[in-house]
Amino acid sequence: MTKPNTGELDPQDNAASEVRSYAIGFIVSLLLTVGAFAAVLADLPSTWAIICICIAALLQIITHLRNFLHLSFSGGQSREDLLLVLFSVSLLAIMAGGTWYIMSDLGGRMHDGGEAGHAAHAMPDR
Amino acid sequence: MSNNSNLYPGLNLGDGHGEAHEQAESTVFGFWVFLMSDLIIFGILFASYASYLDPVGMAGGPGPQDLFDIKSVAIQTGFLLLGGVAYGGVSLAMKYEHGRARVIGWLLVCAALGAGFLFFEVKDFITQAGKGGTPQVSGWLSSYWTLVGLHGVHVFSGILWILAMVAQIAIRGLDEVLKVRLSMLGVFWHFLDLVWVGIFSFVFLVPLA
Repeated sequence: MTKPNTGELDPQDNAASEVRSYAIGFIVSLLLTVGAFAAVLADLPSTWAIICICIAALLQIITHLRNFLHLSFSGGQSREDLLLVLFSVSLLAIMAGGTWYIMSDLGGRMHDGGEAGHAAHAMPDR
Repeated sequence: MSNNSNLYPGLNLGDGHGEAHEQAESTVFGFWVFLMSDLIIFGILFASYASYLDPVGMAGGPGPQDLFDIKSVAIQTGFLLLGGVAYGGVSLAMKYEHGRARVIGWLLVCAALGAGFLFFEVKDFITQAGKGGTPQVSGWLSSYWTLVGLHGVHVFSGILWILAMVAQIAIRGLDEVLKVRLSMLGVFWHFLDLVWVGIFSFVFLVPLA
């Protein structure tokens, strides 16, 4: 990474491409947001609506990282920034995903019956 | 080459800003480390919220269908998205030296949009509390108030930070130190927008789906 510190500003066409990057980020985010809300308001089956919301959220987060936080995923980025994001995401996946899995599993076993509970619960119903 | 490479998160000042650009590399990176630890806190709160999102977690109290107002959530989302994009105006005006009046103008637009977001959020909180949705009613409501409230506190401190920066720019001019501070503020402000994407998707929309 060379840094010729010439004291000159970047050319204006660079500015134009940066304005475009924000504009694209805004339009894409807006469309994804509208899509997520529409999925709820339309009478989709709730599983499909939730899948749509998750995909829209993921895409929008990537858009924000690229267009607003200017993290580049294909080189050209200070390596530590990207590594830190990836490390945080993997920590999150372990901690948040693990918490959610354990708690929902526990909830399932304690309240509506897990695998063992199911049989016991199913009996009186039939 | 130097046009494409970023030294730190956010819109880089670029070589033209010499010292501020180099100083920002370590300072903004350090701040980014802090934000990633903040992200972990939010992530854990998201996990708690998801764990409580069942009839047992709601403990007979009011649920998402009773409390959430999807129109208000959409308005808040709009305010925050526009506020995030408006910070692009701050970053570009600073990078291309459009003068401090433009920078201050964009900062005030961001603060106003953030305040609009907070207005609707607080209004929602008051309505929800009026409907019996206070934090102590159920585990689900505790986690809801903690997660969304923490984000609201972040936005509020972001507005205070913006106003502090406006005052500093007005008093000492847009010098190297302030350029670095504004770069950090930009990363913070966009980060709040990012967390809100998670909140409106998973806290509000998923339970309503």
